[in-house]
Amino acid sequence: MDSTNESDLYRKLARREFLTRAASGTVITALAGGLYVISDGLTREAKAQSRDDGRPRLPPGQRVIERLKPMGGVPGDPSRGNFKLRVHGDVDNPFELDFAELLAMGPVTRRADVHCVTGWSVLSAKWKGVTLKALAERAGMRSTARHVIFEGASGYTANVRVREAMGDDVMVAWELDDRPLRRPNGAPVRALVPDLYFWKSSKWLTGIRFTKRDHPGYWETRGYHNHADPWKEERYG
Amino acid sequence: MADDAQAPAPTSKRKRKIRWRQWLRALHRDFGYVAVGLTLIYALSGLAVNHIADWDPNFENYERDLVVEAPLPTDDDAEAARIVQAATGIEGEPIDVYRVTDDLLEVTFDKSTLHVTLSDGKVFQEGQEPRMFLRAANWLHLNRGKKAWTWFADGYAVVLLLLATSGIFMLPGRKGIKGRGAVLVALGIAIPLAYLMWVGSP
Repeated sequence: MDSTNESDLYRKLARREFLTRAASGTVITALAGGLYVISDGLTREAKAQSRDDGRPRLPPGQRVIERLKPMGGVPGDPSRGNFKLRVHGDVDNPFELDFAELLAMGPVTRRADVHCVTGWSVLSAKWKGVTLKALAERAGMRSTARHVIFEGASGYTANVRVREAMGDDVMVAWELDDRPLRRPNGAPVRALVPDLYFWKSSKWLTGIRFTKRDHPGYWETRGYHNHADPWKEERYG
Repeated sequence: MADDAQAPAPTSKRKRKIRWRQWLRALHRDFGYVAVGLTLIYALSGLAVNHIADWDPNFENYERDLVVEAPLPTDDDAEAARIVQAATGIEGEPIDVYRVTDDLLEVTFDKSTLHVTLSDGKVFQEGQEPRMFLRAANWLHLNRGKKAWTWFADGYAVVLLLLATSGIFMLPGRKGIKGRGAVLVALGIAIPLAYLMWVGSP
């Protein structure tokens, strides 16, 4: 075999190898995609369900996963022993609680779905904590208060309308699925506002401020929606 | 004679042109060198944070359950904490030892927390190890520290603008902005525009 024929042969072999590998890659990717679709039964199941208020259980553009993802942020002090929660602003009796005092307020347990703006949802998570309504009552929230600002570690804030914050499932939570809240999920205590995108549920909670005027928070001033209703897909402002 | 007198003009024009491009190339090259470190930080952190829904770009999180010999002392939290710490092999002093309820003790360390049920010795450990480079890069990228880094970040943005604009005019001829360059620049502008049209926002 002369050198020209030999190099032709090598070229053909290399081409054949490339085509084989490309085809294999395509088949594997397609199979993985198919498996992914088949395995996403949780999402299909949730899409077929409705809430008591008539809205679909799963907001548009969401996919169900089994547990919360960390989603970053600047962590606060995770110790329950060092925890302090300041309730203040447009209230008659501002106060500060440590963890024992929060616990003594009488914890409640709620099952709630949460929806992250990045597209995942966790359904029926079991949360333990104190309702925001109970904290507002204790602080003597004034009738002029229109907004609640959740204050997290390192200056993080998130704003929620008072009428939405007084819902029975809006709470300050320290347990998730019978386990203490983990560090990446906001230990020791986080806010929980299930019917708004999850960034409103501030992690590493340090304060709750009631205000007459709205104060858009960390993500709201960075292009995210001020209200954040998942059923209206209020993701970006 | 008149023709001879006019002859040098094109040469000097060409010289000026060449010098202008030389300056541009030199600027592009040197700003490019300066941008390397910052580009690595911003690009790697950008990739990491862009997929925040898929992983934690700052920490490796872990948790485990274990059981230590029970019952643990209920009248000496420090001793109970010491026994559990020895069983888990965590080094260093706890930051905090806190009795949550009569039966629940929380021992907090720098990077992990032990939630201990004193009566049955069940321990739930959860913690996180920082990803050293990425955590620092993300911190810088998201400008969490503010202060002077805002100036550096602004400066880097200006350098990127200089690199982009100098890059457009750096090469003459068919591979420059009058040929292939124009097509590629148009492509780069068309991609975000097409995407915005496709998704119909903001």
